[in-house]
Amino acid sequence: MLKVENLSVNFGGVRALQNVSFEVQKHEVLGLVGPNGAGKTTSFNVLSGTVRPTSGSVTYDGHDILKSSMHQRVTFGIGRTFQIPQPMHELSVRENLIVAQRFGRPDGKVKQERIDEILESVNLLHKAEADAATELALTERKALEVAKALATEPTLLMLDEVLAGLETTSKKLFMQTLKDIREKYSLSMIVIEHDIETIMNMCDRVVVFNFGKVIADGDPEETFRNPEVVRSYTGEVPA
Amino acid sequence: MNIKISALMLAVMYLGVPFLLGGNDYLIGLVASALIIAGVAVAWALLGNLGGMVSFGHAAFFGVGAYTSAVLTMDYGVPVFVALVVGGIGASLSSIFMMPALRLRGPYFALAILAYAEIFKILATEATGLTGGAGGLLSIPSLPVFAGVDFGTKLGGYIVILNIVTLMLITYYFIRRSSYGLALKAMHDSELATRIVGVPATYLKVVMLLVSAFMTGAVGAFNAHYINFLEPDYAFSGTWTVFPIVAAIFGGYRTLSGPVLGALFIYLVDQLVFKNLIPQGHQMILGVMLAGMIILSPSGLLPVITNLFTRKKADNKRGEAQHA
Amino acid sequence: MELTAQAIFTGLLMGGFYGLVAVGLALVFGTMKVINLAHGELVLLAAYIAYAVESQTGINPLLAMPIAMAVVIAASLITFYLTNKIKKDRELNSLILTFGLGIVLTNGLLMVFSADIYSTQNAWFMEGLVIADSLFSMRSEMLAFVVGLCALGGLYWWLNHTWHGRAIRSVSSNRDAAKLMGMNPTKAELWSWGVAGVLAALAGVMLYVTSVIHPPIGHSLTIKAFIITVLAGMGSIPGVLVGALMIGVIEGLTTTFFQSSLSELASMTVFLLVLLVMPSGLFGKKGGH
Repeated sequence: MLKVENLSVNFGGVRALQNVSFEVQKHEVLGLVGPNGAGKTTSFNVLSGTVRPTSGSVTYDGHDILKSSMHQRVTFGIGRTFQIPQPMHELSVRENLIVAQRFGRPDGKVKQERIDEILESVNLLHKAEADAATELALTERKALEVAKALATEPTLLMLDEVLAGLETTSKKLFMQTLKDIREKYSLSMIVIEHDIETIMNMCDRVVVFNFGKVIADGDPEETFRNPEVVRSYTGEVPA
Repeated sequence: MNIKISALMLAVMYLGVPFLLGGNDYLIGLVASALIIAGVAVAWALLGNLGGMVSFGHAAFFGVGAYTSAVLTMDYGVPVFVALVVGGIGASLSSIFMMPALRLRGPYFALAILAYAEIFKILATEATGLTGGAGGLLSIPSLPVFAGVDFGTKLGGYIVILNIVTLMLITYYFIRRSSYGLALKAMHDSELATRIVGVPATYLKVVMLLVSAFMTGAVGAFNAHYINFLEPDYAFSGTWTVFPIVAAIFGGYRTLSGPVLGALFIYLVDQLVFKNLIPQGHQMILGVMLAGMIILSPSGLLPVITNLFTRKKADNKRGEAQHA
Repeated sequence: MELTAQAIFTGLLMGGFYGLVAVGLALVFGTMKVINLAHGELVLLAAYIAYAVESQTGINPLLAMPIAMAVVIAASLITFYLTNKIKKDRELNSLILTFGLGIVLTNGLLMVFSADIYSTQNAWFMEGLVIADSLFSMRSEMLAFVVGLCALGGLYWWLNHTWHGRAIRSVSSNRDAAKLMGMNPTKAELWSWGVAGVLAALAGVMLYVTSVIHPPIGHSLTIKAFIITVLAGMGSIPGVLVGALMIGVIEGLTTTFFQSSLSELASMTVFLLVLLVMPSGLFGKKGGH
């Protein structure tokens, strides 16, 4: 349902993306992996609208995404989290979700029971009235980041290194939460992660980036055995 | 501002003032003029607080509203009350020219708006056929008799502007409370966070500009029919930009009632006290107050005063409890 | 054709003067990111001092320069002191603060000197000067132009080739790093405001001898200075010169071929167009404000 074709992004002299193509099917969880600076977050930025590509096309459910404004894409069903959580300032956790529902849902309705449900599913209900920007711990901020995106009732959820910076126990719990959410809301997801174990655990397919290009695309296990992929991570040829 | 104080304010303005000052045209006229300033101050504060845009050119909207309404009533026989609304709409439309400036940040936006205001002033002076040019428009129709009440008197006009300002405050209140208000609040420091959940941030800013312009234009239109005279230097005068800003800052521009109370206080004190002390240059005191305010109490003087009262009350209560 | 040449010539001369008026504001804006909305009033203050000296003693107003400088530098430093007292929202609040100070100065001048219009009585300044057999100007206009150019050139040299000047630039680009290098940022900032005062004083005395003065002019000067600063692009002295000359020429042409009342309209419109198309100005760094 998401089709990215020949996407290229040039920042001045830097070629952040070079003719990148990939697809995401309904209910699929796609992993984007690759070294830092390989183009993963840039791809997210193009999809969510914070960066304009130099060339290429993106279609989602028949909509020409690149011709749509940032807020329109959200109503089409594309939701996104940032690596560094971006809560809405001067608002409580609940108010963050109210705004997300009001402007992000296709029907624009605010449904308090649904807000409670979402907050419950990421273990944030007890902090509903806390100030989103100043009264949350790291895990909670990441949870809010996901909750906000969920409140817009997305059909495609893009998670940018949502597990980064969490220690092992929190990571395991969070990962389970994400899997539960995926089951419960039958979402498609694109997940950027560095941890290979996480990817193997969560993703149906994997796309590997290196220096702005896609170097592999397929089943996680096979892909990680691909010598070129291993070399891009470790700089060595595998045994 | 709690319910009790708001109710008190309404009672004072709707009942107290007419009762006490109704017989004196000069005094009622002063309070009405203060309310005109208050109206622009509220519109200015709304744009700043909700829209996140500080404007140095609200005089533009004031003047456009004034001339639109005046010309409609004089040349096209439009009823005055209708013309007030159309004046507001005219000011809104004129703000469309300012849309490109929305991309600009902070002080750049403030000064771009200032440039627009100067441009409108010059255009109004040159378009002699339409606006009567530098000579001005005389004998602009007064507010009419309606439902048995003559709104053309100073007292009648006072009631009208009071209603206009009250309506503005109610609108401001409801926008602020709504999810639009929430989104606008968040947009100040975290615009990206709002956009990523679907908030059409630019549209919202546009709407706030249109609303602020409309309000200012309607107030400007009212003024034209209250004093029955207009000329470009007056209608687009920097005073309509400066005074409301001083008033809003003085009263506390983050609150709803701050701009109104600030306007009433500043204008009346300036006209009744300062003007007599220093006939030429009395506005200097306003400059001093503005500068002093920014350094000492950027959220306005009135919050400081009300805090003093509430603290006193709390101290008294504590005193009572101890003695009980 | 001759009319055009004359219009452009006069415009250029005015532009040089405008550059002198604008550069003080541009300096403070470029180095401290503070917009001094009272800058025009500082220029006007210097002009009134020149008037006061001339009308009281009859001597050449140019000799009032030292007094004007002393007073205006003091006023400038006081403004700096007050802006430093602002605790939050520096950018916006300093705008409002200096706006208030501008009102104080304008009304102060109104009170002391009344709303009457003054200009120099010294005939030397108003005598004509002919260049290239056909281009006419008043001596004062040429003088203001030359002073303007020298001031801009001198400032540019000072910022780029002297220790103090470079200190100012380093503090403005990275205050903390500059501190680590042993510079005292406050001292550098004092220099900025002080030099701005010197420039304003120069501009003010030139204003008095080329044109008429009365209190409302302070406000118009500030606006013009700001327009030119934005046109120039943040931090660019050459930009200020180019922008000022541009404005001067546009005004000259509009006045000659249309009406003088439209000249302000023309420069405002150009300002808006540039701001909207090139927000970082003609010479500004890209990706700036």
